[in-house]
Amino acid sequence: MSGQRVFMDFPITATSHTLADYRARGGYEAIGKALREMQPEQVTKEVATAGVLGHGGAAFPAGRKWGVITLNDGQPHYLCMNADEGEPGTFKDRWLLEHTPHLLLEGMLLGAYALQARHTFVYIRGEFDLAYRRLADALEEAYAAGLFGEQILGTDFACDLVIYRGAGSYVCGEASAMLTSLEGKKGYPRNRPPRLTVAGLYQKPTVVNNVETIANVPYIVKHGSARFREIGTPKSPGTQLLSVSGHINTPGVYEVEYGYPFADFLANECGGMLRGATLKCVIPGGISTKVLTAADIMPITMDHQAFLAAGSQIGSQGMIIVAEGTCMVSLLQVMTRFYHHESCGQCTPCREGMGWLEKISNRIVAGRGAPSDIERLYQISRANDGTTICGLGDAAGYATVGILDKYREEFEYYIANGRSMYDGRVEVAV
Amino acid sequence: MVEFFIDGVPVQAERGQTVMQAAVASGHTIPYFCWHPQLSTPGNCRICMVEVEAEGGAWFDISCNMPVTAGMRVLTDSEKVRELRRDTMQMITLNHPVDCGICNKSGECMLQDHHFAYNGMPSLSRDPKQHATKFHDLSDRIMLDNERCIMCSRCVRFTAEVSKSNALGVQHRGDHSLIRCAADVNFDDDPYSDNVIDICPVGALLSRDLLDHARVWYLKATPSVCPGCERGCSINIWTRKTEWTLRSLDQRLNNRIDRITPLENPAVNGPWVCNKARDLAAIFERPRVTHPLVGGQETSVASAIEAAAALIAAARHPVALVSNWGSNEELAAFHATLAPSFQNFVKHDWQPQPGERLEDDVLIKADKNPNSYAARAIFPLLPSDASSAIPLSTDLVFVWGEGAPMHAIPESAQVVLLTSYALPENTRAHVVLPISIQTERAGHYTNFAGTSTGFSACGPAVATVSDAERLFERLFAAVSSVQAIMTAGVR
Repeated sequence: MSGQRVFMDFPITATSHTLADYRARGGYEAIGKALREMQPEQVTKEVATAGVLGHGGAAFPAGRKWGVITLNDGQPHYLCMNADEGEPGTFKDRWLLEHTPHLLLEGMLLGAYALQARHTFVYIRGEFDLAYRRLADALEEAYAAGLFGEQILGTDFACDLVIYRGAGSYVCGEASAMLTSLEGKKGYPRNRPPRLTVAGLYQKPTVVNNVETIANVPYIVKHGSARFREIGTPKSPGTQLLSVSGHINTPGVYEVEYGYPFADFLANECGGMLRGATLKCVIPGGISTKVLTAADIMPITMDHQAFLAAGSQIGSQGMIIVAEGTCMVSLLQVMTRFYHHESCGQCTPCREGMGWLEKISNRIVAGRGAPSDIERLYQISRANDGTTICGLGDAAGYATVGILDKYREEFEYYIANGRSMYDGRVEVAV
Repeated sequence: MVEFFIDGVPVQAERGQTVMQAAVASGHTIPYFCWHPQLSTPGNCRICMVEVEAEGGAWFDISCNMPVTAGMRVLTDSEKVRELRRDTMQMITLNHPVDCGICNKSGECMLQDHHFAYNGMPSLSRDPKQHATKFHDLSDRIMLDNERCIMCSRCVRFTAEVSKSNALGVQHRGDHSLIRCAADVNFDDDPYSDNVIDICPVGALLSRDLLDHARVWYLKATPSVCPGCERGCSINIWTRKTEWTLRSLDQRLNNRIDRITPLENPAVNGPWVCNKARDLAAIFERPRVTHPLVGGQETSVASAIEAAAALIAAARHPVALVSNWGSNEELAAFHATLAPSFQNFVKHDWQPQPGERLEDDVLIKADKNPNSYAARAIFPLLPSDASSAIPLSTDLVFVWGEGAPMHAIPESAQVVLLTSYALPENTRAHVVLPISIQTERAGHYTNFAGTSTGFSACGPAVATVSDAERLFERLFAAVSSVQAIMTAGVR
């Protein structure tokens, strides 16, 4: 079994996303407990002790991020929830937004209390429709119930939340670009320093957390960090929501404990490979992470340490399962098209490099590749490694290098013969 | 002060300075495109990447956004840094047309310089370049070639941070990004718009005025002062080099002012000037008076001086209207020679033109004359009711420069006029003596804050046109000798 649950512990019904149902399953008890019994610093300490790692992709410890904010420093603090889930292959936050929006609102209240943030924001992906409506309805219910606004639950604590819908840009999922966009400007990422926890939204200390990271907070506050640490592995405590797609029988969102073996996940949750196909490789955490071959991933467990040791990352937990018979050159072409389309155009290596990557992969796929193209793809990726303002350029480089390293012979074949090693159909085991 | 090291050389930096600022201040060279000392730091060109040696291994970041910390060891020319620069230059020139041969910026282009210094390789790309709009009119004055643009955003930041017109922005994203004028703003209304041409590091933003007029290496820059208002911005006046004078070109084209650019002067204008300074040719290249006139007839300088001296010597109630376009030297010469013979007033040679911005908190000042400060330090200002200063009994008005209130001069009074330009008001004068303009002589102006700035001559004036300073001396000598004869006659 995939172990204990933090989020998926209730049956989904027609009303399970409402305030009444959420309260019935113990909702808003954590914020009540925090306001009655805990100081803001204690909430931060509890989150830090729980060791919850960010679920947006970088796996930065949430408690440490919160701990950087100096309370009572005379300036406003902001908390922003990053619901601009745009990484290809990732759709786990959408499940939380659609099915348990009040859990997120409670998490935001706890975060706001811990960080002393009077104003909080949710930056939600513009394409999310049901998710947005569910969250907006939940917020309305919460305001009506006195859970937001002034004097929350009869205390002096006050907090407002604004939902802001993005306009469809991938790079606005990067925290600093999100804040720039939230300020009403073009969604360009910002240079560090300064860090966002020093000068973020409107140049004030700001914490940006992923939806799933925030969703962990009510559980931690309610049950304590010790209980939370019992889930998962010592270095990757808790659970993860994996959104899995590709050549499998039952794609979807599944909650598993960190440390769950991939082989079990593939066999049980994913329902095995589609029509009995053979596993070729897995893009483990959204397309920005390096691809893992079947041999790489089959023996390992799904936690940060194991994935790092295998040469990749859990990233944003959007897993794409690729079956034998898939052309990796075409896969790279699709990926570079995405990065080219989504590059914000601010800094040179990414603005020019993403287009160059796509042009080269288009040309190879069209049968007009040159042997020097492989070296050129490596060079463009290298030129983007650590040289760009945000991580988009790096990510595209990692993804490209990941595929080239593992499947170079497919590229050489394609360039030499002007056609793919595969006919495009997924190979099905007899 | 914080000490750190650039390429092993100890450098003193102010607290809070970035590595780039400290490097520029201490004379170290780190290449940059998007960074500009007067603008915010977007860190988007990535060419200023440097290496920092550290205990846990070297790290790389852009020097324009890297705060100096004590003892940090920065390398600006390590093997890895050179490789990063080569890669970045490849990226920057990837979709740039590299059409230097037909580009107006050629010869003073940062991209050319950096490409020569840090890359020098042809493009590694086998793919066609991304095409974009060319000959796009950002305004009536400025043409944008989007293919040459490297998206450094200097122009956008200039309009947001310096001129505050917020006229420019970026449309679209990725390698389709375009600099565009905002829909609700007319960039022509920004009186500082042409500065974006100077700060553009490539040939993307070009002056319509200079477009295809001359390669920059045919031109020479003469340091000068803008006479457009009492700010007195330092400027460079660009004219054709003598050795590049072409016989096939019209004489007027060989001698014209090809362009005017700001000359950085932190005490007065920083690195900016307004568009009026760019358009000084419209003032300086008006039709000139080239020959002295007495009673409307052309004559020699000597006889015109004689005629003027006779009038001055004979006058009982003479008034002089002093030019506030005269240099400090000319004002001093007038003060020392002719001034005692007259009742002197400073007149405004130039009035604000319709539609001109009167004053703002960037550069533009309300008084549209360059040397009012120095002139008024010596002589009183002509009252707005000019006739109160020029009573009916006035029998001679000595007018220096243009813009005199001719209507306020009694009909019985004679007028001696020292002017450069052929203007309708000249017909009122009995004697007209042509004087040189600012581009034909050297001198100093003192601006509204008391700061003196010098200007040099771009070229000589024609022989029959004299400097006012020289004329005052000759007139003074002539008047003195007439007076000596008169005194002798009386005796």
